[in-house]
Amino acid sequence: MTDTRTLQRHDPAAGAATPGWALGVSAGIQATGSRHVVYVPDNPLSHVLRTIAARYPDIATILATREEEAFGIAAGLYLGGGRPTVLLQSSGLGNSLNALSTLLVAYQIPVLAIISMRGDAAEWNWAQVPMGRLVRPALDALGIQHVAIEHHDHAEEAEAAVVAVGTLAFGARVPAACLLPRRVTMPVAATREARG
Amino acid sequence: MNRLDATRQLVRALTDEAVIASLGHPAYDLFAAGDRPENFYTWGSMGVASSIGLGLALARPDRRVLVLDGDGSLLMNLGSLATIASCRPPNLTLLVWDNRQYGTTGGQATATAHATDLAAVARGAGLASTATVGSADELDRAMDATRRAPGPHVIVARVDESAPTTKPPLDCVFLKQRFMAAIGAPESATRGGPA
Repeated sequence: MTDTRTLQRHDPAAGAATPGWALGVSAGIQATGSRHVVYVPDNPLSHVLRTIAARYPDIATILATREEEAFGIAAGLYLGGGRPTVLLQSSGLGNSLNALSTLLVAYQIPVLAIISMRGDAAEWNWAQVPMGRLVRPALDALGIQHVAIEHHDHAEEAEAAVVAVGTLAFGARVPAACLLPRRVTMPVAATREARG
Repeated sequence: MNRLDATRQLVRALTDEAVIASLGHPAYDLFAAGDRPENFYTWGSMGVASSIGLGLALARPDRRVLVLDGDGSLLMNLGSLATIASCRPPNLTLLVWDNRQYGTTGGQATATAHATDLAAVARGAGLASTATVGSADELDRAMDATRRAPGPHVIVARVDESAPTTKPPLDCVFLKQRFMAAIGAPESATRGGPA
C-alpha cells in the first residue's frame, strides 16, 4: 500500500497552508466511511492527499497509473466490501469512460469520485479546455450525478458536499461525483503563480 | 494445451478462491468449465480485470484472488502490473491466457505474437514471482506454487485458441450480487433489516 506521507518531499504545495476546501473534502471522505482512496495525482488534489496522510491514517491510499485503472481497482474494493473513493483530474475522466460505463454503471458499483477540474473558468491552458467542456455532458450522459463545491476556504461546505455525494453513491449504489472547480481550488493568485 | 482444457483443469483445483474473468473467451470458458458464485464475469471494461482483482485482494486479504486475463486485455493495462508490484498483495494471482491473438474478435495477432514477453514485462514492473507455462503439468505446478508462497504471482500460460463455448449470465447486477454474497460481503441493500 502506498504511503502518501512520502510524497511530501516532492510536493510543490507542501509548504503552503492547506485550504479549507481540501480539509473539508478530506473530512468528507472520512465521514462517508470510505477507507480506500485510489488516486492519480493532480496539483490541487495534493492538498487532499497530504491532509489524509496527516489526519486520517486509517484511510489507505493507492496510486494508480491512469484513471481507468483507478476505477477498476475501486470496483474490486467495492466487491470486497469497501467504500472506495477515486481522486482524479478531469482530464482523466476521458481515460475512464469505458470502465465507468461498462463496469461501474452496468454493474451498479458505487464509487465516490472527486474530480479536480481542468479547462473550466480560471484555466490558462487551452489544451485542457475541450475535455473540460466535456466533463459535465459526459457525466450526464452516463447518468452519473455530480455536485460542485463553490468556496475556496469553506471546509464545512466541502465536507457536506462530499458526504452528500457519498451518501448517494453508497446508499443508492451508483457512481457519483463531487467536482472541484478550478476557480475554487486555484484562485487567481495561485493560477498566476502556476502559469509562471 | 488449449485454453478451454486448461481452464477446466484449473477450475477442478479451485477451493474458495474468488475468480475475476476478463470479458470474452476467458469468461466464457470459466463459465463452461464450472460456474460457481465466487466467479465474477466481466462483460466490458476490457483491460481492467487485473485492476478489479487488485482492489478485491486489497479489500479481502483473507481470501485468495485469481484473475483470468488475456494477453490482449493485459496489453491494454500494462500499468496495472506496476501498481500490483507497488501494492504487493500476497493473496493475488494474475493468470494470463496468452494465445497471441485477440481471440474474441477474430484472431488478430497481439504484440505477444511478435515481440512481447508478458512475464518479462511483469518482472520489469517489479513482480518477482512470474512463471511461463506451456503444458498442463507446468500449469498445475505453477498454480500449486501460488498456494505455497505469498504473492503477488503472475503466470503466463501459453495456450492455443479453442472454440467459443457458452456464455455466462448477462445480468450484471445479478452477477455482482451473487459474487458478493458468496465471498461474504453481501450488499446491505439485498439483506433487509429494521425500519
